[in-house]
Amino acid sequence: MLEIKDLHVAVSGKEILKGLTLSIGSGEAHAIMGPNGSGKSTLSYVLAGRAGYEITSGSIRYRGEDLTALAPEERAAKGIFLAMQYPVEIPGVTTLTFLKTALNAQRRARGESELDAVSVLKLVRAKAAELKVPEDMLRRALNVGFSGGEKKRLEILQMALFEPKLAILDETDSGLDIDALKLVAEGVNALRTPDRAMLVITHYQRLLNYIVPDKVHVLSRGRIVKEGGKELALELEARGYEEIVKDAA
Amino acid sequence: MAAIETREKVAALGEKYKYGFVTDIEMERAPKGLNEDTVRFISGRKDEPAWMLDWRLGAFRRWVEMREPTWARVRYPKIDYQNAYYYAAPKRTPQKQSLEEVDPKLLETYNKLGIPLSEQKLLAGVAVDAVFDSVSVATTFKQKLNEAGVIFCPISEAIRDHADLVRKYLGSVVPVTDNFFATLNSAVFSDGTFVYVPKGVRCPMELSTYFRINASETGQFERTLIIADEGSYVSYLEGCTAPKRDENQLHAAVVELVALDGAEIKYSTVQNWYPGDENGLGGIYNFVTKRGDCRGRDSKISWTQVETGSAITWKYPSCILRGENSVGEFYSIAIANHFQQADTGTKMLHLGRNTRSRIISKGISAGRAQNTYRGLVSVHAKAANARNYTQCDSLLIGHECGAHTVPYIESRNSTARVEHEATTSKIADDQLFYCLQRGIGQEEAVALIVNGFCKEVLQQLPMEFAVEAQKLVGISLEGSVG
Amino acid sequence: MSALVLPNRRVEDWKYSDVANVIDAASVAAAPAAKWSIASVSGATEIGDLPAITPRGPHGAMAEFALASANSGPYVRVPKGRCGELRLDLVSGGYGRAVIVIEEGGQLVLHEKVTAEDLANIAVDIVVGRGARLTHVRHAATNDAAQFVDYAVRLVEGSGYRSHFANFGGRLSRVELHVLLEGEGAEANLSGVGALDGAHADLTTHVTHAVGPTRSTQLVKYVAGGRARGVYQGKVTVAPGANGSDSSQTAKGLLLGDRAEIDLKPELEILADDVKCAHGAAVGDLDMDSLFYLRTRGVPESEARAILMRAFLADAVDDIVDEALRAEVWRAVDAALEKLS
Repeated sequence: MLEIKDLHVAVSGKEILKGLTLSIGSGEAHAIMGPNGSGKSTLSYVLAGRAGYEITSGSIRYRGEDLTALAPEERAAKGIFLAMQYPVEIPGVTTLTFLKTALNAQRRARGESELDAVSVLKLVRAKAAELKVPEDMLRRALNVGFSGGEKKRLEILQMALFEPKLAILDETDSGLDIDALKLVAEGVNALRTPDRAMLVITHYQRLLNYIVPDKVHVLSRGRIVKEGGKELALELEARGYEEIVKDAA
Repeated sequence: MAAIETREKVAALGEKYKYGFVTDIEMERAPKGLNEDTVRFISGRKDEPAWMLDWRLGAFRRWVEMREPTWARVRYPKIDYQNAYYYAAPKRTPQKQSLEEVDPKLLETYNKLGIPLSEQKLLAGVAVDAVFDSVSVATTFKQKLNEAGVIFCPISEAIRDHADLVRKYLGSVVPVTDNFFATLNSAVFSDGTFVYVPKGVRCPMELSTYFRINASETGQFERTLIIADEGSYVSYLEGCTAPKRDENQLHAAVVELVALDGAEIKYSTVQNWYPGDENGLGGIYNFVTKRGDCRGRDSKISWTQVETGSAITWKYPSCILRGENSVGEFYSIAIANHFQQADTGTKMLHLGRNTRSRIISKGISAGRAQNTYRGLVSVHAKAANARNYTQCDSLLIGHECGAHTVPYIESRNSTARVEHEATTSKIADDQLFYCLQRGIGQEEAVALIVNGFCKEVLQQLPMEFAVEAQKLVGISLEGSVG
Repeated sequence: MSALVLPNRRVEDWKYSDVANVIDAASVAAAPAAKWSIASVSGATEIGDLPAITPRGPHGAMAEFALASANSGPYVRVPKGRCGELRLDLVSGGYGRAVIVIEEGGQLVLHEKVTAEDLANIAVDIVVGRGARLTHVRHAATNDAAQFVDYAVRLVEGSGYRSHFANFGGRLSRVELHVLLEGEGAEANLSGVGALDGAHADLTTHVTHAVGPTRSTQLVKYVAGGRARGVYQGKVTVAPGANGSDSSQTAKGLLLGDRAEIDLKPELEILADDVKCAHGAAVGDLDMDSLFYLRTRGVPESEARAILMRAFLADAVDDIVDEALRAEVWRAVDAALEKLS
């Protein structure tokens, strides 16, 4: 599904990722854990194609295709979804309008027919009910005045709606209380199918109790320094990053 | 049904400047240049009564003495008023009685513009007056409006058939000598729309005028007069387009609204005159004086404008809040892209007690455009308990454009309350990226974000038009990012 | 000086201060040289005569007349890295000019008081050097004259300027403040109060962000009663490329009685896109609920009004850091409010 080889990425001339290699297969869920400043968010932005993240060397292949040549919206249409750590507010644009616009833009890009307002509403309502997103949230401006938890739930609602092939969850657990965390995790788990892959980026092990990864990678100073199974997350939680990173060095 | 067709109509406004075409039709023009003979020529062609000719000549004589204003933030080469035509009309038209007599070429033109003029094809809820260069070529649904007692006709016709009303109100809101361009218009206006809604009548349909400049080197000087008698209501919409030409053409209109006791006028504009090309060549110079007089108590005048066209826009739809408890509103979206220059805003003059006004202005600048909001809120000493709220937001797209805000607040009554807020911002990178990540392309994302920015104003448009005005917003900004 | 044409209300910048209607050109031309009393309160301030070459402008129209007439006046210099406090009083009117230069890393507290009661037309040029600081407190008592004072302040890299102007008005009183943020990291914080009982006071500012990042804030408050007229015209320009400019403007007026007038014109001219610029303006009367509340607690009406007016002006006075100066300005404000309540 995703093959990252010796990836070097610079932001404003400063190298953040320094030779990252990672491979995720269909049906797998991987976790990337690392301390602040290790390059976790940079990795998520590079995968989504944000401007300003310069790939100086290395490669990213997604389903056999060179990902770096694609614009962000092309990546989205091809099934890459990034649930953001800080979802953005867009005043004046209702959530529903936004969802319809995005859904139809993706469908159009894939050569599928666009959905009319009624079909979109039906679809969104069904997903919203599962994630306990209240109807009135859909009529409010996108993320404007939403609580941290509401914003994160809306990200997962979008993930459910767009049915991506590769979902990247960037610190989805931050700002969530335990009930919201469970709800979000259920939403994510419901999407774990053999033809889909997940990359869960998190600072804390907590989320991984609910979204159990197949593999855990520890990111430090722009490189993967340790890899293991789901038990590695527990070890990190118990011993702290510093010790693990030291061991690895 | 009506809504769908109306949407299609405005949808036509919304596609890339596709009405830049020219209709090849035999025209009659006044000789080039401007002098008393030009004024007489125009008046003669319209079979006007002597009082009207005198009124025009009076205006012309004043205009000769006046100087073109320079206070607005717009720059353009000196206009040679002698090097233009002041009257151009399709040869076969005037005196039309029914749509069947209208030149088929004209009907075809309006079809191409998305404004079918045959009544069976027309949207059931909207009556249209079509003004082609200097004359009105078609007015629809006259019969149905007549039954309600509403007069909706070309102003040239009103001068002949409803002289008492015209004489009473013409120039009563915008005096002949109000300003350079209004005075010019008073001398040479050729056509426009007249509306009278009698006492207690709620106009049964939306009224709309569609202005089209076709002839080259010709100025358009339309004049609109709307009178809402006591307790009446009318909603009016105007749309404007012109062919693509390398030359600049002058458009200097005057619109006067009068609302008597308890009357309400809602006036909406979708202005999409040819803006010039991406290098700033060509485009319409749009110098417009629009003013509403809330003459009666409890009256209301609401202006909504979506200004996306014209090389230069100079326009300040205003309200004189004379009647007690009267209400004035101004909702504006002004988009300037490429080399466009817009200087637009409003004046709210609070004269009466308990008068209220609300100003919502959204300015968007892109390319190398300059966009200025200029607004006056003036509370006179007798306007006890007057209230004004103004919100004025500017959005910049790109670093070569300018956004300017020039509000004037003058208060002379201690019980009045005036509030003004303004912000300037750009489309945030993270907003754009968020949209892209969800699969929305750059231009669509810009359109979406800008529409969100304009939402409060778009909501004010008659429902059928709002949806499609959104499209126009997006299209006007094409090529502004990237 | 051959053709001295005074600005009138048809000139956009002088719309609310019609000079030609108040004085005639001859009296401006015939004015004597203005007189100051200058004293170094503390520190290393050097006081001398104007050097041959001085910074100049940009100034407004009236200051240009002053500059054309005045060739001498106080020159104040704060040497590199030094601190000083200076008292500068305008004791008698006329035309005049002054220059203040604060060199790199220097700091000055300038306390300016106007006691002159006749026609004055003054141009002041101020340069705040790299990393230097100027705190400028100015107050002018009410008088019956036409007075024009015009400051041009240049702010070099990393410098800071704080001004606190209290103006109690005159027959026609106009203070102009032209601030040029010409170096990165420069910051200007301007505040102005006017408590006017029948007088005219005009504060006209023009803050130019020539480069970014730079920051400016403006806070102006007027209370106007009697036949007073309080005017604030504040323009903020962000020059092309001055990205990272951050500017805010707040102007508020409290109108008492039906013969007073407040005119506010906060203006933005933005030619760069990566900026944060906002302004707010409001004119109204005393909050009736608050007034009622105070009266139910036994506070007599006139006292309650005074309390509320004081509260309205407070944030524009309380930001004076120097305690003694703040107290002095409050004393002047309180005296003016007493007449209004």
